[in-house]
Amino acid sequence: MDLSSDEIIVERALTGDAEAFGEIVRRWERRIFALTYGMLGREEDARDATQETFLAAFRNLRGFRGEAKVSSWLHRIAVNQCISRQRRSRVRSESALEDEQENDANLFASPISYSPAHVAEGRQQTAAVRRAVNSLPLDLRQVVVMKEFEELTFREIADVLDLPLSTVKSRLYTAMKQLQMRLQKFESRN
Amino acid sequence: MNERNNSPDCERAADLMAFLYNEASESEASDFQLHLQECGSCRAELASFGTVRESITAWRDEALSGFVSSPALKKPSTKSAVAALRQFFDLSPLWLKGATALAAVTFCVLAGLAIAKRENNHLSSTQVNQGNVYTQQDVDRIVKEELAKQKKAEPSPVETASDSALAVKSPKPKALRTATPDQLVKSRRPLSRAEREQLAAELRLQTTDDATLNLLGDRINQ
Repeated sequence: MDLSSDEIIVERALTGDAEAFGEIVRRWERRIFALTYGMLGREEDARDATQETFLAAFRNLRGFRGEAKVSSWLHRIAVNQCISRQRRSRVRSESALEDEQENDANLFASPISYSPAHVAEGRQQTAAVRRAVNSLPLDLRQVVVMKEFEELTFREIADVLDLPLSTVKSRLYTAMKQLQMRLQKFESRN
Repeated sequence: MNERNNSPDCERAADLMAFLYNEASESEASDFQLHLQECGSCRAELASFGTVRESITAWRDEALSGFVSSPALKKPSTKSAVAALRQFFDLSPLWLKGATALAAVTFCVLAGLAIAKRENNHLSSTQVNQGNVYTQQDVDRIVKEELAKQKKAEPSPVETASDSALAVKSPKPKALRTATPDQLVKSRRPLSRAEREQLAAELRLQTTDDATLNLLGDRINQ
Protein backbone atom coordinates (compact mmCIF):
# COMPACT_ATOMS: atom_id res chain seq x y z
CA MET A 1 0.00 0.00 0.00
CA ASP A 2 1.22 3.47 -0.84
CA LEU A 3 2.54 5.02 2.36
CA SER A 4 1.60 8.48 1.19
CA SER A 5 -2.00 7.59 0.35
CA ASP A 6 -4.76 9.59 1.99
CA GLU A 7 -5.98 6.54 3.83
CA ILE A 8 -2.60 5.89 5.44
CA ILE A 9 -2.29 9.54 6.40
CA VAL A 10 -5.72 9.43 8.05
CA GLU A 11 -4.59 6.36 9.98
CA ARG A 12 -1.54 8.28 11.12
CA ALA A 13 -3.77 11.16 12.22
CA LEU A 14 -5.88 8.69 14.19
CA THR A 15 -2.84 7.46 16.04
CA GLY A 16 -2.11 11.01 17.18
CA ASP A 17 0.26 12.27 14.48
CA ALA A 18 -0.39 16.01 14.63
CA GLU A 19 1.14 16.68 11.22
CA ALA A 20 -0.89 14.06 9.39
CA PHE A 21 -4.21 15.86 9.27
CA GLY A 22 -2.45 19.01 8.15
CA GLU A 23 -1.18 17.03 5.18
CA ILE A 24 -4.73 16.01 4.29
CA VAL A 25 -5.81 19.63 4.44
CA ARG A 26 -2.93 20.71 2.23
CA ARG A 27 -3.81 18.09 -0.35
CA TRP A 28 -7.50 18.76 -0.57
CA GLU A 29 -7.93 22.39 0.47
CA ARG A 30 -7.93 23.80 -3.04
CA ARG A 31 -10.35 21.28 -4.45
CA ILE A 32 -12.73 21.60 -1.56
CA PHE A 33 -12.57 25.37 -1.95
CA ALA A 34 -13.38 24.95 -5.64
CA LEU A 35 -16.37 22.85 -4.72
CA THR A 36 -17.69 25.23 -2.08
CA TYR A 37 -17.03 28.23 -4.30
CA GLY A 38 -18.96 26.65 -7.13
CA MET A 39 -21.76 25.70 -4.79
CA LEU A 40 -22.01 28.97 -2.89
CA GLY A 41 -20.78 31.45 -5.47
CA ARG A 42 -19.11 33.77 -2.99
CA GLU A 43 -15.47 33.65 -2.04
CA GLU A 44 -16.04 34.54 1.60
CA ASP A 45 -18.73 31.89 2.02
CA ALA A 46 -16.56 29.38 0.21
CA ARG A 47 -13.65 30.00 2.56
CA ASP A 48 -15.86 29.58 5.60
CA ALA A 49 -17.43 26.43 4.21
CA THR A 50 -13.97 25.00 3.39
CA GLN A 51 -12.80 25.67 6.91
CA GLU A 52 -15.95 24.13 8.37
CA THR A 53 -15.52 21.11 6.13
CA PHE A 54 -12.08 20.35 7.48
CA LEU A 55 -13.14 21.06 11.04
CA ALA A 56 -16.03 18.65 10.66
CA ALA A 57 -13.73 16.08 9.07
CA PHE A 58 -11.29 16.40 11.94
CA ARG A 59 -14.04 16.04 14.53
CA ASN A 60 -15.41 12.97 12.76
CA LEU A 61 -12.08 11.43 11.94
CA ARG A 62 -12.88 8.36 14.05
CA GLY A 63 -16.07 7.93 12.09
CA PHE A 64 -14.16 7.60 8.83
CA ARG A 65 -14.40 4.09 7.52
CA GLY A 66 -11.76 2.90 5.15
CA GLU A 67 -14.41 1.62 2.75
CA ALA A 68 -14.74 4.98 1.04
CA LYS A 69 -11.98 7.14 -0.33
CA VAL A 70 -10.88 10.08 1.81
CA SER A 71 -11.62 12.36 -1.14
CA SER A 72 -15.21 11.12 -1.44
CA TRP A 73 -15.67 11.45 2.30
CA LEU A 74 -14.38 15.04 2.26
CA HIS A 75 -16.55 15.93 -0.74
CA ARG A 76 -19.61 14.60 0.98
CA ILE A 77 -18.86 16.67 4.08
CA ALA A 78 -18.27 19.74 1.91
CA VAL A 79 -21.52 19.29 -0.01
CA ASN A 80 -23.40 18.91 3.29
CA GLN A 81 -21.70 22.02 4.63
CA CYS A 82 -22.78 23.99 1.58
CA ILE A 83 -26.36 22.74 1.79
CA SER A 84 -26.68 23.57 5.48
CA ARG A 85 -25.11 26.99 4.96
CA GLN A 86 -27.60 27.74 2.22
CA ARG A 87 -30.47 26.60 4.39
CA ARG A 88 -29.28 28.73 7.29
CA SER A 89 -28.94 31.79 5.16
CA ARG A 90 -32.07 31.31 3.10
CA VAL A 91 -34.03 33.96 4.93
CA ARG A 92 -31.10 36.31 4.95
CA SER A 93 -30.37 35.66 1.31
CA GLU A 94 -33.88 36.41 0.18
CA SER A 95 -33.17 40.10 0.36
CA ALA A 96 -29.72 39.51 -1.07
CA LEU A 97 -31.28 37.53 -3.89
CA GLU A 98 -33.55 40.41 -4.63
CA ASP A 99 -30.52 42.66 -4.77
CA GLU A 100 -28.77 40.16 -6.97
CA GLN A 101 -31.72 39.85 -9.29
CA GLU A 102 -31.82 43.59 -9.51
CA ASN A 103 -28.13 43.58 -10.31
CA ASP A 104 -28.74 40.82 -12.79
CA ALA A 105 -31.42 42.85 -14.47
CA ASN A 106 -29.09 45.83 -14.64
CA LEU A 107 -26.33 43.63 -15.86
CA PHE A 108 -28.38 41.99 -18.54
CA ALA A 109 -29.85 45.29 -19.58
CA SER A 110 -26.72 47.35 -19.37
CA PRO A 111 -25.53 48.70 -22.69
CA ILE A 112 -22.06 47.66 -23.85
CA SER A 113 -20.95 51.28 -24.00
CA TYR A 114 -21.43 51.35 -20.23
CA SER A 115 -18.15 49.58 -19.58
CA PRO A 116 -14.66 49.84 -21.07
CA ALA A 117 -15.21 47.22 -23.74
CA HIS A 118 -13.38 43.98 -23.43
CA VAL A 119 -12.58 43.63 -19.73
CA ALA A 120 -16.03 44.62 -18.71
CA GLU A 121 -17.51 42.26 -21.24
CA GLY A 122 -15.49 39.40 -19.80
CA ARG A 123 -16.57 40.34 -16.32
CA GLN A 124 -20.15 40.43 -17.38
CA GLN A 125 -19.83 37.03 -18.96
CA THR A 126 -18.21 35.62 -15.82
CA ALA A 127 -20.87 37.14 -13.64
CA ALA A 128 -23.56 35.76 -15.90
CA VAL A 129 -22.10 32.25 -15.70
CA ARG A 130 -21.79 32.48 -11.94
CA ARG A 131 -25.39 33.50 -11.59
CA ALA A 132 -26.54 30.91 -14.06
CA VAL A 133 -24.77 28.16 -12.11
CA ASN A 134 -26.00 29.51 -8.78
CA SER A 135 -29.56 29.50 -9.99
CA LEU A 136 -29.44 25.79 -10.84
CA PRO A 137 -31.25 23.42 -8.48
CA LEU A 138 -28.86 22.05 -5.87
CA ASP A 139 -28.67 18.50 -7.26
CA LEU A 140 -27.72 19.82 -10.71
CA ARG A 141 -25.34 22.41 -9.34
CA GLN A 142 -23.45 19.78 -7.33
CA VAL A 143 -22.76 17.76 -10.45
CA VAL A 144 -21.68 20.78 -12.50
CA VAL A 145 -19.33 21.98 -9.80
CA MET A 146 -17.81 18.56 -9.23
CA LYS A 147 -17.27 18.10 -12.93
CA GLU A 148 -16.12 21.57 -13.92
CA PHE A 149 -14.46 22.88 -10.79
CA GLU A 150 -13.00 19.71 -9.39
CA GLU A 151 -12.65 17.82 -12.62
CA LEU A 152 -13.88 14.59 -11.07
CA THR A 153 -14.80 11.74 -13.37
CA PHE A 154 -18.39 10.60 -13.71
CA ARG A 155 -17.52 7.52 -11.66
CA GLU A 156 -16.00 9.63 -8.87
CA ILE A 157 -19.05 11.89 -8.77
CA ALA A 158 -21.28 8.84 -8.64
CA ASP A 159 -19.24 7.53 -5.69
CA VAL A 160 -19.33 10.80 -3.80
CA LEU A 161 -23.03 11.36 -4.30
CA ASP A 162 -23.86 7.70 -4.07
CA LEU A 163 -25.76 7.77 -7.35
CA PRO A 164 -25.84 5.51 -10.41
CA LEU A 165 -23.44 6.56 -13.17
CA SER A 166 -26.30 7.11 -15.62
CA THR A 167 -28.00 9.51 -13.19
CA VAL A 168 -24.84 11.59 -12.94
CA LYS A 169 -24.64 11.87 -16.73
CA SER A 170 -28.30 12.65 -16.97
CA ARG A 171 -28.07 15.40 -14.35
CA LEU A 172 -25.07 16.94 -16.01
CA TYR A 173 -26.82 16.90 -19.36
CA THR A 174 -29.85 18.65 -17.85
CA ALA A 175 -27.63 21.18 -16.09
CA MET A 176 -25.76 21.97 -19.29
CA LYS A 177 -28.98 22.41 -21.17
CA GLN A 178 -30.29 24.87 -18.59
CA LEU A 179 -27.01 26.79 -18.47
CA GLN A 180 -26.96 27.00 -22.23
CA MET A 181 -30.45 28.54 -22.26
CA ARG A 182 -29.63 31.05 -19.52
CA LEU A 183 -26.43 32.14 -21.20
CA GLN A 184 -28.19 32.47 -24.54
CA LYS A 185 -30.70 34.72 -22.85
CA PHE A 186 -27.88 36.83 -21.46
CA GLU A 187 -26.24 37.12 -24.87
CA SER A 188 -29.46 38.04 -26.62
CA ARG A 189 -30.04 40.83 -24.07
CA ASN A 190 -26.61 42.22 -24.77
CA MET B 1 -32.68 11.45 -19.69
CA ASN B 2 -35.91 13.18 -19.22
CA GLU B 3 -35.50 15.34 -16.16
CA ARG B 4 -37.03 18.82 -15.84
CA ASN B 5 -38.36 19.16 -19.36
CA ASN B 6 -34.84 19.09 -20.72
CA SER B 7 -35.25 15.76 -22.35
CA PRO B 8 -32.62 15.22 -24.99
CA ASP B 9 -33.46 15.47 -28.62
CA CYS B 10 -31.45 12.33 -29.18
CA GLU B 11 -31.37 9.16 -27.14
CA ARG B 12 -27.58 9.16 -27.11
CA ALA B 13 -27.29 12.04 -24.61
CA ALA B 14 -25.25 9.91 -22.18
CA ASP B 15 -22.75 9.15 -24.94
CA LEU B 16 -22.71 12.83 -25.77
CA MET B 17 -21.69 13.69 -22.19
CA ALA B 18 -18.98 11.02 -22.11
CA PHE B 19 -17.67 12.33 -25.46
CA LEU B 20 -17.82 15.96 -24.31
CA TYR B 21 -15.72 15.23 -21.21
CA ASN B 22 -13.31 12.82 -22.95
CA GLU B 23 -14.48 9.92 -20.87
CA ALA B 24 -15.56 7.72 -23.73
CA SER B 25 -13.40 4.77 -24.61
CA GLU B 26 -11.67 4.78 -27.98
CA SER B 27 -14.29 2.61 -29.63
CA GLU B 28 -17.16 4.58 -28.02
CA ALA B 29 -15.62 7.82 -29.20
CA SER B 30 -15.18 6.68 -32.78
CA ASP B 31 -18.70 5.27 -32.78
CA PHE B 32 -20.09 8.56 -31.49
CA GLN B 33 -18.13 10.51 -34.07
CA LEU B 34 -19.87 8.49 -36.75
CA HIS B 35 -23.18 9.29 -35.06
CA LEU B 36 -22.34 12.99 -35.05
CA GLN B 37 -22.13 12.97 -38.84
CA GLU B 38 -25.75 11.93 -39.00
CA CYS B 39 -27.26 13.67 -35.95
CA GLY B 40 -27.62 17.42 -36.25
CA SER B 41 -29.11 17.73 -32.77
CA CYS B 42 -26.06 16.13 -31.12
CA ARG B 43 -23.73 18.28 -33.23
CA ALA B 44 -25.52 21.45 -32.12
CA GLU B 45 -25.54 20.40 -28.47
CA LEU B 46 -21.88 19.44 -28.53
CA ALA B 47 -21.01 22.90 -29.87
CA SER B 48 -23.21 24.83 -27.43
CA PHE B 49 -22.14 22.73 -24.40
CA GLY B 50 -18.56 23.40 -25.39
CA THR B 51 -19.24 27.14 -25.22
CA VAL B 52 -20.88 26.73 -21.81
CA ARG B 53 -17.86 24.82 -20.59
CA GLU B 54 -15.53 27.59 -21.79
CA SER B 55 -17.52 30.16 -19.84
CA ILE B 56 -17.50 28.04 -16.69
CA THR B 57 -13.75 27.46 -17.04
CA ALA B 58 -13.15 31.20 -17.31
CA TRP B 59 -15.20 31.78 -14.17
CA ARG B 60 -13.44 28.93 -12.34
CA ASP B 61 -9.97 30.21 -13.25
CA GLU B 62 -10.88 33.69 -12.09
CA ALA B 63 -12.38 32.38 -8.86
CA LEU B 64 -9.53 30.06 -7.99
CA SER B 65 -6.80 32.50 -8.90
CA GLY B 66 -7.57 34.32 -5.66
CA PHE B 67 -7.27 31.19 -3.60
CA VAL B 68 -4.48 31.31 -1.05
CA SER B 69 -3.66 28.33 1.07
CA SER B 70 -3.95 28.84 4.82
CA PRO B 71 -0.59 30.26 5.92
CA ALA B 72 -0.40 27.93 8.90
CA LEU B 73 -0.57 24.95 6.61
CA LYS B 74 1.98 26.08 4.09
CA LYS B 75 4.99 23.84 3.91
CA PRO B 76 8.29 25.54 4.55
CA SER B 77 9.80 26.67 1.32
CA THR B 78 12.54 24.36 0.10
CA LYS B 79 13.48 26.40 -2.92
CA SER B 80 17.14 26.03 -3.72
CA ALA B 81 19.47 28.98 -3.92
CA VAL B 82 19.86 28.43 -7.66
CA ALA B 83 16.09 28.45 -8.15
CA ALA B 84 15.77 31.60 -6.08
CA LEU B 85 18.52 33.25 -8.12
CA ARG B 86 16.82 32.21 -11.36
CA GLN B 87 13.52 33.63 -10.14
CA PHE B 88 15.27 36.85 -9.17
CA PHE B 89 16.75 37.17 -12.66
CA ASP B 90 13.43 36.34 -14.28
CA LEU B 91 11.66 39.08 -12.38
CA SER B 92 14.40 41.71 -12.56
CA PRO B 93 14.33 44.53 -15.10
CA LEU B 94 17.04 44.60 -17.76
CA TRP B 95 19.14 47.32 -16.10
CA LEU B 96 19.22 45.36 -12.85
CA LYS B 97 20.28 42.23 -14.67
CA GLY B 98 23.12 44.21 -16.34
CA ALA B 99 24.22 45.77 -13.07
CA THR B 100 24.23 42.42 -11.34
CA ALA B 101 26.27 40.86 -14.11
CA LEU B 102 28.78 43.76 -13.99
CA ALA B 103 29.06 43.45 -10.22
CA ALA B 104 29.63 39.72 -10.56
CA VAL B 105 32.36 40.22 -13.16
CA THR B 106 34.08 42.91 -11.04
CA PHE B 107 33.94 40.67 -8.02
CA CYS B 108 35.46 37.79 -9.96
CA VAL B 109 38.28 40.00 -11.31
CA LEU B 110 39.08 41.37 -7.84
CA ALA B 111 38.99 37.92 -6.34
CA GLY B 112 41.34 36.68 -9.08
CA LEU B 113 43.76 39.54 -8.45
CA ALA B 114 43.71 38.92 -4.72
CA ILE B 115 44.45 35.24 -5.23
CA ALA B 116 47.27 36.01 -7.68
CA LYS B 117 48.81 38.47 -5.25
CA ARG B 118 48.63 35.97 -2.46
CA GLU B 119 50.28 33.34 -4.62
CA ASN B 120 53.15 35.75 -5.42
CA ASN B 121 53.68 36.53 -1.74
CA HIS B 122 53.70 32.88 -0.92
CA LEU B 123 56.24 32.12 -3.67
CA SER B 124 58.59 34.92 -2.66
CA SER B 125 58.48 33.89 0.99
CA THR B 126 59.23 30.32 -0.02
CA GLN B 127 62.18 31.50 -2.08
CA VAL B 128 63.48 33.58 0.82
CA ASN B 129 63.38 30.58 3.13
CA GLN B 130 65.12 28.44 0.57
CA GLY B 131 67.97 30.97 0.33
CA ASN B 132 68.29 31.08 4.15
CA VAL B 133 67.73 34.80 4.26
CA TYR B 134 66.32 35.89 7.58
CA THR B 135 64.61 39.07 8.56
CA GLN B 136 66.00 41.37 11.24
CA GLN B 137 63.46 40.04 13.74
CA ASP B 138 64.44 36.45 12.97
CA VAL B 139 68.10 37.22 13.47
CA ASP B 140 67.44 38.98 16.77
CA ARG B 141 65.35 36.11 18.00
CA ILE B 142 67.87 33.45 17.00
CA VAL B 143 70.72 35.39 18.54
CA LYS B 144 68.80 35.72 21.78
CA GLU B 145 68.04 32.03 21.79
CA GLU B 146 71.64 31.12 21.16
CA LEU B 147 72.82 33.45 23.90
CA ALA B 148 70.42 31.86 26.30
CA LYS B 149 71.67 28.43 25.28
CA GLN B 150 75.26 29.48 25.70
CA LYS B 151 74.54 30.94 29.11
CA LYS B 152 73.10 27.62 30.10
CA ALA B 153 76.07 25.81 28.68
CA GLU B 154 78.56 28.15 30.40
CA PRO B 155 81.24 25.84 31.87
CA SER B 156 81.29 25.71 35.62
CA PRO B 157 84.63 25.87 37.35
CA VAL B 158 84.65 22.11 37.70
CA GLU B 159 84.01 21.51 34.04
CA THR B 160 86.90 20.02 32.12
CA ALA B 161 88.77 21.76 29.38
CA SER B 162 87.68 19.18 26.86
CA ASP B 163 84.06 20.20 27.44
CA SER B 164 84.99 23.78 26.71
CA ALA B 165 86.87 22.76 23.62
CA LEU B 166 83.82 20.89 22.40
CA ALA B 167 81.77 23.94 22.93
CA VAL B 168 84.16 26.01 20.92
CA LYS B 169 84.34 23.36 18.24
CA SER B 170 80.61 23.15 17.91
CA PRO B 171 79.47 24.69 14.66
CA LYS B 172 78.31 28.23 14.78
CA PRO B 173 74.61 28.72 14.34
CA LYS B 174 73.54 29.66 10.88
CA ALA B 175 72.16 32.95 12.08
CA LEU B 176 75.43 34.04 13.45
CA ARG B 177 77.14 33.45 10.16
CA THR B 178 74.86 35.86 8.49
CA ALA B 179 74.33 38.32 11.33
CA THR B 180 75.71 41.84 11.23
CA PRO B 181 79.13 42.49 12.75
CA ASP B 182 77.65 44.59 15.56
CA GLN B 183 75.39 41.78 16.54
CA LEU B 184 78.25 39.32 16.41
CA VAL B 185 80.31 41.50 18.71
CA LYS B 186 77.39 41.81 21.05
CA SER B 187 76.77 38.13 21.00
CA ARG B 188 80.39 37.18 21.66
CA ARG B 189 81.58 36.55 25.16
CA PRO B 190 85.24 36.71 26.18
CA LEU B 191 86.97 33.37 25.77
CA SER B 192 87.77 31.55 28.94
CA ARG B 193 91.23 30.39 29.68
CA ALA B 194 90.45 26.80 28.78
CA GLU B 195 89.05 27.91 25.44
CA ARG B 196 92.04 30.04 24.70
CA GLU B 197 94.34 27.11 25.53
CA GLN B 198 92.37 24.85 23.26
CA LEU B 199 92.49 27.41 20.51
CA ALA B 200 96.20 27.84 20.93
CA ALA B 201 96.68 24.13 20.74
CA GLU B 202 94.79 24.02 17.55
CA LEU B 203 96.81 26.80 16.12
CA ARG B 204 99.90 24.83 17.14
CA LEU B 205 100.99 27.44 19.51
CA GLN B 206 102.92 25.54 22.02
CA THR B 207 103.21 28.29 24.43
CA THR B 208 100.90 28.45 27.36
CA ASP B 209 102.12 31.61 28.87
CA ASP B 210 99.41 33.99 29.96
CA ALA B 211 100.58 36.96 27.95
CA THR B 212 100.31 35.16 24.58
CA LEU B 213 97.01 33.61 25.44
CA ASN B 214 95.58 36.93 26.57
CA LEU B 215 96.76 38.59 23.39
CA LEU B 216 95.14 35.88 21.32
CA GLY B 217 91.99 36.12 23.34
CA ASP B 218 91.87 39.87 22.93
CA ARG B 219 92.27 39.62 19.19
CA ILE B 220 89.52 37.12 18.93
CA ASN B 221 87.32 39.12 21.22
CA GLN B 222 87.84 42.15 19.09
